[in-house]
Amino acid sequence: MSEQDGANPVLSLLNLTTTIRSEGHTFDVVRGLSLDIYPNEIVCLVGESGCGKTMAALSVMRLLPEAAEITGGSIRFKGRELVSASERDIRAIRAEEISMIFQDPLTSLDPSFTVGSILKELIKVHRGGDNASATELALATLVEVDFPDAHSRMGAYPHQLSGGMRQRVMIAMALALDPDLLIADEPTTALDVTVQAQILDRLAEEQRQRQMAMLLITHDLAVVASVAHRVAVMYSGEIVEQAPVDQLFADPQHPYTQGLIHALPHVSPRKEPLYSIPGRVPPPQFTPPGCYFAPRCPYAIERCWKDHPPLELDGGRLLRCFNPQAFASL
Amino acid sequence: MRRIVSRTGYMILILVLSSIAVFYAIRLSGGDATAAALPASTTAEQREAFRERLGLTAPIYVQYFEYAGRILSGDLGNSLTNNADIGDMLIRHGKNSLILGAAAFVLVFAIGIPLGIWASVRRNRAADQGIMTFSVVGMAIPNFWLALLAIWLFASTFHLLPSAGCCELRHLILPAVVLAFEGIALTVRMTRSAMLENLGQDWVRTTRAAGLGEIRVIGKHAFRNALIPIISLAGLRIGQIVGYALVVETIFGWPGLGQVLVNAVLRRDYPVAQFFSLVLVALVVIGNWLADLGYVAANPRLRRA
Repeated sequence: MSEQDGANPVLSLLNLTTTIRSEGHTFDVVRGLSLDIYPNEIVCLVGESGCGKTMAALSVMRLLPEAAEITGGSIRFKGRELVSASERDIRAIRAEEISMIFQDPLTSLDPSFTVGSILKELIKVHRGGDNASATELALATLVEVDFPDAHSRMGAYPHQLSGGMRQRVMIAMALALDPDLLIADEPTTALDVTVQAQILDRLAEEQRQRQMAMLLITHDLAVVASVAHRVAVMYSGEIVEQAPVDQLFADPQHPYTQGLIHALPHVSPRKEPLYSIPGRVPPPQFTPPGCYFAPRCPYAIERCWKDHPPLELDGGRLLRCFNPQAFASL
Repeated sequence: MRRIVSRTGYMILILVLSSIAVFYAIRLSGGDATAAALPASTTAEQREAFRERLGLTAPIYVQYFEYAGRILSGDLGNSLTNNADIGDMLIRHGKNSLILGAAAFVLVFAIGIPLGIWASVRRNRAADQGIMTFSVVGMAIPNFWLALLAIWLFASTFHLLPSAGCCELRHLILPAVVLAFEGIALTVRMTRSAMLENLGQDWVRTTRAAGLGEIRVIGKHAFRNALIPIISLAGLRIGQIVGYALVVETIFGWPGLGQVLVNAVLRRDYPVAQFFSLVLVALVVIGNWLADLGYVAANPRLRRA
């Protein structure tokens, strides 16, 4: 499913670097990130909190917070450069060609407007047209994302809806204009477990029907396993391993990926404590000189502390490691 | 809906309690009611008879109920100084006060809100700092001093506007601006902080992600939410304008309710002082009530609760 022959990537990140300025200091939160996403595939960007996943996604949308900016690299979307695009061009692309779904549906909808008016405004701003046609499209999109009683609930305010319903509204906003790329940033993290599966299934189904490209950001490997085609594992602002999903789970090479998979909870007859990777992601202002993962890595050799490993192609896999080990059940 | 009913009941209770307070305050403030109405040569017996006739010798609570009964039946009484009908005075002076108060009220929001939005959008830059400095100054200057300053500058020095009088536009400008000044300063602050609070919310990013322009994001979505606290303070601005009108109308010789009240108190014309005090109290209470209703109307999270 990945890297289809002859197809051009929808989105192509090349050496993307995003920097935060804070109290006179600057530090990179995304460091030379390169990633291609092709039409009709789901790429999962995986990593712990603070590894730069969300900042990378916001860079693509050009929605970075005031303190952050893109300081290097390129973002090519359908052949157009987004890093240098004008604010006006970016606005036309948002929702129309690239959509984004955010993590917390409880705070991500304007509390003063109804579901219907939020959707209709989005449609009219991009497509023009009269109220009736905007209403029709808004309604059709809500029905499509399984929003219950869509017709009568067009007049509901966000506070009258549950978290799952609000996330469906967010999905409807993202899909109403049939974008080429959907970025979903932890779309199920804030939801009840039962609702998570429904939302995830809906997203996967929409991706398949519309044959759009999807970048799914998550820290949840169970989510990855159920929907992803290709996985990029991110650590400390850069990709450490990237592979098709089956290959990644069957044979993870990077010690960090191995740690993540090992940390997955599983049903076991014995009472054993959950595994967790020791230590945590170093804050971006204090980065080790060699491999960023070396301080937490069980297999770090001397070289790992001195040189920064490059991302190297190995079969269908990209790997950033000097000393990969076979995945033993630790 | 229940909130509206309870707020309305609360307003009526406050009106009754404050009318009692005003009634007692006027009677306990000392001074001689007969001094205004009768010539200086009047004997003590004649004065006592006059008090008797006005009902001033009865216990105060009896006087209150009699007075309340008369007011509710539409008999507002007459002035002690010139025997003018208080109802006529209310209409004549009330109209002037309404013009001045409405002009000040419009200025408060027509100037305060855009400046506040501008400051929030240019946060921590020169425009913001300039506007906030103006706001601090506006809150710090007492309005009687500002009134004198305005008269000195625009009337005495540059002869641009009259220092006092009524009732053309050129007479209205100075008192309206002075009356509005502190309200503008407060509204700027209020608007700025409400806008900044809303511009920091997650949903602002959603509206941007939807491809909406900054004018819609700021002017429609953020402002619509910032309006909730602004509206709730609008009623309080009514109270402030009513209170300051006493001073401003007196200084600028604007023949409104405030001026009538000040003159009546100075002359111990207690039926007039009493009635117009009640009117001003009622205006303040109604202003607060309107603020409550506006708050509910502007906030969808309260409307159907």
